Amino acid sequence: MLLYIDPGSGSYLVQMIIAGVLAGLFYFKNLWLKVKSFFTKGKKDEAAENED
Amino acid sequence: MINEPTAIQHHPASFKDPSGFIFKANGKFYRQINRSYAENYDLLMSSGLYKVLTEKKLLIPHTEVIDNANQSPDWYKTILPEQLPFISYPYEWSFDELKDAAMVTLRVLKIAVKHGMVLKDGTSFNIQFYEGRPVFIDTLSFEEYDETKPWIAYRQFCECFLFPLLIEHYHKIDAQKLLSVYLEGIPASTTAKLLPFKSRFKLSTWLHVYLQASVSAKNKPTSKPATASFSKTKLLNLIQSLQNAIKPLRVETSLQSTWNNYYDETILSKNYLDEKEKIFRDFISNINDGRTMDVGCNDGYFSKILAEKNRNIIAVDFDSQCVNKLYLDIKSGTTKNILPFCIDLTNPSPALGFNHLERQSFAERAKSDTVTALALIHHIVLSKNVPLADVARMFAELTINHLIIEFVPITDEKSKQLIANKATYHKPYSPEAFEKNFSSYFETERKAIIPGTERILYRLKKR
Repeated sequence: MLLYIDPGSGSYLVQMIIAGVLAGLFYFKNLWLKVKSFFTKGKKDEAAENED
Repeated sequence: MINEPTAIQHHPASFKDPSGFIFKANGKFYRQINRSYAENYDLLMSSGLYKVLTEKKLLIPHTEVIDNANQSPDWYKTILPEQLPFISYPYEWSFDELKDAAMVTLRVLKIAVKHGMVLKDGTSFNIQFYEGRPVFIDTLSFEEYDETKPWIAYRQFCECFLFPLLIEHYHKIDAQKLLSVYLEGIPASTTAKLLPFKSRFKLSTWLHVYLQASVSAKNKPTSKPATASFSKTKLLNLIQSLQNAIKPLRVETSLQSTWNNYYDETILSKNYLDEKEKIFRDFISNINDGRTMDVGCNDGYFSKILAEKNRNIIAVDFDSQCVNKLYLDIKSGTTKNILPFCIDLTNPSPALGFNHLERQSFAERAKSDTVTALALIHHIVLSKNVPLADVARMFAELTINHLIIEFVPITDEKSKQLIANKATYHKPYSPEAFEKNFSSYFETERKAIIPGTERILYRLKKR
C-alpha cells in the first residue's frame, strides 16, 4: 500500500510500548471501578460516559 | 460539465497525497478522486462512516459530480465539497481552537475505527473552522483499517497537535506561532527540550513526548517495513490516552493580556461605547455585503453586532488571548457566523511551504466586502510606526466595498500613552492627513465624531 507519510520504525515501537503500559493501566482502572461499584451498588460506571 | 479544462486550476497545496487532488473551476473547489483510492472511497461511503461523520458535523459534506473535468487517466470520481467561507491555518488559531481541532481529529479517528477505517494522516491542516466549530475537510484521509498495524499517523498527530498544546500549556506562551516555522509539526526531540522538567512527572507527557523522543532517536530508519502486531483494543486505548492527555490542557484566560480588558478600563467610559455603537449600527444598517472582516476585533463586541445581520464575519486580532476568549464565547453561545483568528496586521501570515504556494498569505485570503477597523489605526501608526499612506494602501488591498474605520487623534488619552516614551512618530497624524491619504483609494460616505471624545468614525467606499 502506498503511504505518503513515513511513520518511522520508531513510531511503531513507541506505540507498542505505550499500548503495553496503557493495557496495564486500564486493567487496574477497570478492576478499581469494579471494586468501587461493588461498594457503591448501582452507581453508573465512569467508563460508560463516552459519547461515541 | 464543470468547465473547459483550460480554465481549471490545480490547487498548489494539494500534491502530497496520490489519492487525488483539489482543483478550482468556475470559482468553486472540487476534489478529484484517483482510481488508486477508489476502494477506500467506496468503503467510506458504504460503511456508513460518511453518514455518521457528516451527521455529527465532523466531516465536510460533499456531492458527487460525474465529470472527468481534468481528463485525467487516473480519474475515478469528482466530488464537490461544501464551500468554506475562509481558509485558516493552525498558526492563526488560538489555543482552544487548536485543542478543539485535535479533539475533533481524535473523535473522527475513533468513529472511523468503529467502521473499519482509520486516518492515514493526522495533520492539523485537515481541519478548518466552519459555522463556529472545527470540521475535518480531507475526505481522502480515510483508509481501510488493518487491525494488526499501529496508527500510521500517530507521530504526525503528536507533532501537529499534542506537542504545541503541551508547550503552550506548560509555558503559557503563544506556541502556535511556532507552527508557521514547523509546518509539519514540532518534532518530539525539540518538544522534549522545550518542556519544563516538571512535565516528566506526568505519565501521558512522559509516554508521548519523552519516550517517543528517545525511541525515535535510537531507532534509525530502515528500508524494511515495520513489523509490529497491534490490535483494535490497543489502538482505542492509544486514542483514549491522547484524549485524556489533551482534555485537561489549559491556558490562563484570566491572565491580563494587552487588550483583553480594554473595554473594562475606566478611561473609555461606557458612555463612549454606547455612542460609538449607535453610530456604528447606523453606518452598517444599509450595507449588505457578503464577507465582513473585523480587524483588531478585541473581545468581539462589534463583531457580534455585525453578526446580527447574519453576515459571514471573520474577526482577527493580534492578541491570541482575546481571540481565544472570543472563540470560547462563540462556542458556548448561539452566534455561529463569527470565525476568530490570530492575525497581526503589521506582520500577517506569509505564503509558506513548497514554492511558496502551499499555504497562502493572509493578504491572498483576506479580501472582504466590508472591513471594520475600530480603535486600531493609532496602534498601527503610533506603536508600529507605519506611515498613514501605507496604512491607507493596506486597507485598500483588504477592502472590496466598504471600510468602517475609527480615527483616534493624537490628543486622545490612548494615543498619548502610545507616544509617551517615543522621541517622535510619523507626522502629520491628524484627521486631515488621514482623509487625504485615504482619499486616494476611498471616498467618504459618512463621518461622525463620537460624542464626548475627539474620535471620528468614517464610512468609506472603495473607489
